Amino acid sequence: MLNDHFLSLVVFSLLVALFFAVLNHRDSRGFWKSVGKTMAWMVVGSLLFAYFMLWTAR
Amino acid sequence: MPSAPPRWKAYAYSLPTLLLPGLSHWFLGRRRRAVAFFCIVAATFWVGLLLHGALFPFHAPNWLYRLGAVAEVGLGAPYALGRIIGLGRLDMRDAADLMFGYGNTFLVSAGLMNMLLMMDAFDIAVGRKE
Repeated sequence: MLNDHFLSLVVFSLLVALFFAVLNHRDSRGFWKSVGKTMAWMVVGSLLFAYFMLWTAR
Repeated sequence: MPSAPPRWKAYAYSLPTLLLPGLSHWFLGRRRRAVAFFCIVAATFWVGLLLHGALFPFHAPNWLYRLGAVAEVGLGAPYALGRIIGLGRLDMRDAADLMFGYGNTFLVSAGLMNMLLMMDAFDIAVGRKE
């Protein structure tokens, strides 16, 4: 199941986002906001970078 | 104003994380966070091994792998134990495996997370952080 590249990216982003949220936030609202923000940056940023690499490889 | 605890005590508080991720926070009274840290680092480590990542030795054949070993050694006991029992053994044939790079990313990240936990425990012990 984890042989899916996108799923690996999502699982990795989730773990890193959870780690930094636990490290830096006490309140539940700030915690989930931080998880969402970090995950979004990592997933969307990686996809954009991947498309950029694909575009430059052509 | 309460005086800061001695420096050696703060160093001593940061070390148990090398035995088990989150153990320093447990001793510092942050029990819920300690359990959360343990679960996150253990999951990252486990998924890394599941994806055929390697626990790099310091005498790995190229400098990038040796750099990976520096990060992974931050895991402490799990790294040492894994190396002893042969978990995540570096096999150059695995380098062609599609998921090898992903597995290494997870393992290296787990090591770096654990190093951050040590620094966080140090900061809590010296009173720099709540």
